[in-house]
Amino acid sequence: MLIFTLLACTENKLSESWQIDRLRVLAVAAEPAEPRPGDRVTFTSLVVSPNVEVAATVWFACLTSEGDYGCTIDESLLEGLDPTGELTADELEALYDAGFIGAEPFLPPVWNVPEDALAGLTSDEQLEGLTAIVNVSAIPEDADLSSDDLELAYKRVPVSLAVSPNHNPAIRAVSVDGVEVPPGTVVSLDRGQPYTLTVALTEDAVEPYTFVNNAGEVEERTEEPYLSWYTEAGEFDQTTDLWPYFEAIYYAPEAPTADASTLWVVVRDRRGGMAWASLSARYR
Amino acid sequence: MSTLLLALTLSGWAGAETPAPTAPPVDDLPPLLKDPALLAFVEAPYPEAARAAQIEGTVRLALEIDATGAVTGVSVIEPTGTDVGLEEAAMDAAKKFTFSPAEDATGPVPVVVEFAYGFVLDAAAKVGAVPEAAAAAPAAELPVNLDGVLIEMGTRRPLAGLVVRLEPSGVEVTSDAEGKYAFRGVPPGEITVRVVHPGYQTLEQPVQVSASELTTAKLWLRNESYTQAGVIGVYKKPSAEVSKRTISMEEVRRVPGTFGDPIRVIQTLPGAARSPFGTGFLVIRGSNPEDSGVYVDGIRIPYIYHLGGFESVINPDLVGAVDYLPGGFGPRYGRSTGGVVDVRTRTEFPERTHVTWSTDLLDSGVLVTGTLGKKDQHGFGVAARRSYVDAILPLFLDEGFVARPQWWDYQAKYQWQGDGPNEFSLLIFGFQDVLIASTPPGYAQSSDPDGQGELGTTYSTHRILARWEHRFSDTLELHVIPSVGNDYASFSLGNAWQLEQTQWMAEVRTELAWTPNAHVKLVPGVDFVGGIAPFSITLPFDPSQFAETDPLAEREPFTVQDTQPGWGPDLYLLAELRPLADPERLLLTPGLRFNFVSIPGEYDIWSFDPRFSGRFSVFEGGRVKGSVGLYHQPPQPFQSYRVDDLPVDLGFERSLAGSLGWEQDIGPAVQVDAEVFYKALDNLIVGNPEFQSLDDQFFVNAGVGRAYGLEVLLRHAPVDRFFGWISYTLSRSERRDQPDEEWYPFDFDQTHILVGTAGYKLPWDIEASAKVEYVTGNPTTPYSLGVYDVDQDSYQAFATGAPNSDRLPAYWAVSGRIDKLFTFRAWQLDLYVDLLNVVHGKNPEFELYNYDYTEKSYIQGLPFIPSPGFEARFQF
Repeated sequence: MLIFTLLACTENKLSESWQIDRLRVLAVAAEPAEPRPGDRVTFTSLVVSPNVEVAATVWFACLTSEGDYGCTIDESLLEGLDPTGELTADELEALYDAGFIGAEPFLPPVWNVPEDALAGLTSDEQLEGLTAIVNVSAIPEDADLSSDDLELAYKRVPVSLAVSPNHNPAIRAVSVDGVEVPPGTVVSLDRGQPYTLTVALTEDAVEPYTFVNNAGEVEERTEEPYLSWYTEAGEFDQTTDLWPYFEAIYYAPEAPTADASTLWVVVRDRRGGMAWASLSARYR
Repeated sequence: MSTLLLALTLSGWAGAETPAPTAPPVDDLPPLLKDPALLAFVEAPYPEAARAAQIEGTVRLALEIDATGAVTGVSVIEPTGTDVGLEEAAMDAAKKFTFSPAEDATGPVPVVVEFAYGFVLDAAAKVGAVPEAAAAAPAAELPVNLDGVLIEMGTRRPLAGLVVRLEPSGVEVTSDAEGKYAFRGVPPGEITVRVVHPGYQTLEQPVQVSASELTTAKLWLRNESYTQAGVIGVYKKPSAEVSKRTISMEEVRRVPGTFGDPIRVIQTLPGAARSPFGTGFLVIRGSNPEDSGVYVDGIRIPYIYHLGGFESVINPDLVGAVDYLPGGFGPRYGRSTGGVVDVRTRTEFPERTHVTWSTDLLDSGVLVTGTLGKKDQHGFGVAARRSYVDAILPLFLDEGFVARPQWWDYQAKYQWQGDGPNEFSLLIFGFQDVLIASTPPGYAQSSDPDGQGELGTTYSTHRILARWEHRFSDTLELHVIPSVGNDYASFSLGNAWQLEQTQWMAEVRTELAWTPNAHVKLVPGVDFVGGIAPFSITLPFDPSQFAETDPLAEREPFTVQDTQPGWGPDLYLLAELRPLADPERLLLTPGLRFNFVSIPGEYDIWSFDPRFSGRFSVFEGGRVKGSVGLYHQPPQPFQSYRVDDLPVDLGFERSLAGSLGWEQDIGPAVQVDAEVFYKALDNLIVGNPEFQSLDDQFFVNAGVGRAYGLEVLLRHAPVDRFFGWISYTLSRSERRDQPDEEWYPFDFDQTHILVGTAGYKLPWDIEASAKVEYVTGNPTTPYSLGVYDVDQDSYQAFATGAPNSDRLPAYWAVSGRIDKLFTFRAWQLDLYVDLLNVVHGKNPEFELYNYDYTEKSYIQGLPFIPSPGFEARFQF
């Protein structure tokens, strides 16, 4: 089967995940990345859309049991709801009851972790904690919350009393063919040419942490983050870079495609922490 | 004086155009796998009355040959009408002939052949035709000055009973049993030796005869066709198993797309689903691949195909026949709810040593066969094969990617055929398949670091299998088949995933066959299998995390090493009852099998399988048949283990299956076989939906299923130059994982399976064959844009329909094959090219979604590929 897969050709070339050709939620970061009960958690997101305006990004957060995908929201509550318009007090109350925590750009998402979030757990279980699910719905213009055009995403936020709680990583710089540039820099690239992109994290980005295994033994572990690349134009040789091989080949688009585009990179630490950076590319 | 062997014609399929009057009706005869061959020809003394009267003539005889090859009866079909004693002389001589026995799928069988015995006065005996040099003395008193031997080209087989004639004198002699001939008193100088014989190209060879020395001339005769030697394609034998189809060699090996492998021909027969390219699954009557049993000489093996399903694990040249039983099989076979494939290795070996070298795109192999001993009672065959796909594949891969699939197999068989009541054979065989695949350094195979690294998978099997048959009397036989061996399987992905299991096992099948009369046969038997299976498992996570969907949960590597013993004796009793005066008219086959499986510490389970089948000849050429039976199958090894010796609460999977069919002969060569079947499955083993921790059972017997359909086979036996069959299956196979759930189609449910295969022998030893296939696409589950998992950078797909509610597009393909045989004196070369996917070339085999399930494409099968190969056969 594997031989066949390696040799096989597909009928049509399928779009790649690094290819940004529609509204996408690429990343969501919680701060703090691993809160304690009673903490106030703020959220940021990387939402991109090359062809439509994003009317709003609606947020919900719920502590949940394993296997669920977050807050259970009655669809009738969302039908006809215009998140960009005026909401009645009853509508707002119903939304908050369902776990609503914000609607950008009007109401930045903030979640106050309940004080009793870990109540009923043993002290060992509290060290491991629970997981909250944050639902993010990016709504394009002229769509409502029940539309099929929504981009739906969810993220886990661990809530615990961990001795070494997780922190979001940070990207210090991106290199293009070995030349370090700060995130957000505009770079000029030759059309059709390959470029080697690398990412440097801040010194404390890859965290050591302790883990108590099933036998009750304490293990010292280190995070193994990975990168995901995205772009509106051009191509990457692969979607993901695994630690410590943080290197991707980017092929600038051939003429006469776009004169400019954005390259995004997201780093995830596999414990819920993430960060991102971008470069603006101009094609010569 | 000489007698002349004019012709030898078989009754039955091969000689249907001239059936002997004493032969049973052709329509009732199964085709022969091997024709009888004349081993000892006895020359009749020329009757004095005929010589005196200068009378020549031909007597046409019917010879009854028993299963040992002895002539048990002779009668005259067509006398000469001369009344000078030619008939009596011919009959007396023919009674002393010895033949090798004819064989069908069951072994040696009695046959009736037509034989033309010619009496021709030699030149010396003819008045006025005495050669000049012989005029001075009687020919018998002159010295032999020309001799030699007649040999068939390519096979180096000595040719007995052929007339050798000298030109221009017209003197003739007949070659003896060793193919030798001799002439006395041939005048010196150049003469022409001429041999004319049916089935052989006429030979005219100039020979310079010396006046003072013995001249020896070896005469090589070319067979007109080397591809017609009594070989049968696919047919339905009227055996106890009413759905049994037996496949034998040569023609079947010419089926396009099978890489010359007769076992792959199964996939052109009714009931067998088309396996997706590169998988080699054996899917029979809507059953899972693991539900069908694969046997070699009666002993079960885990795999029938090498990696990718391109070739079977037994060298095709060592395969004698393949029994394919899609259902309705008797109690001889157990522990399977699907079908059965029983590969029988060769039991006949050539007198001379043969070496066969085969090479195609995938592999090369060599086979040596022959016999030893004064009576050639020690037959042997040794074969080995090795693939080289691992050398070719890198040519098609990008730099840095590695894929090294390789396989090899070996077989060695010894067959002892004594004069007494004992027969013995020993078969040693094995195979190994290995696949190594890796990616360039730094290449991310997935976002999961535990999914990184070199992928390796290996499976192998080795067996030593003996077979002893003892005939106590004409009514009582004992068969004992002991075997030992091991099966090995491993899988690894980097250092995170490593699974390895070895099974050491011993098996004994003992069977007693008692046939007190032509109406009753009782066969009690015992199948014993026992062994141990050491295994080790390394996973990147604890199995209890199977229930976790949270990827942020910390993984703990999990390792277990254990040894699992298992054993179980199965008992069975089979009866073949033929209650009517004509025992061939009605066959009733009741049977019972008792299954017992013990995995100490896990479970002990047992079951009874009552089975029944019957066949009734309603009128000549028309037969009705049916079967019903219960079939039980124990849990698979991976389902039979829990950590800490916790008991496994699993039982047998069960199938209640029935079939009803009709066989109709249409003329001597064409047969139609239609059969409907229904199979109700329950206690199917499925994942435990309530699994939460290691305290819970992994699996439960909660699934149910059903499969039903119609199978039709229209076949033309390999008579004359043509063979072929059309196979059609209309079926439906469904499953429910829980009794209260909706039915969904089985993963390989294929509504229509239509396969047409035909071959034709052209002149000059060229054979062309073609295969046309149309198969409904396999079911798939439709998905659409899902929810993005931000932490995993992946989408959770939403199923937009019920499981397996969609389908791949239908598969259809046309394939061809052309064989050309070149015959040289001591060897033959068969050049062929398999033309895969000649016409269509674009068949979806698997479904592939993009990253967010908004786009779908298909992984296609191979495009048009001409696959050349050759087989060289040497005789020593």
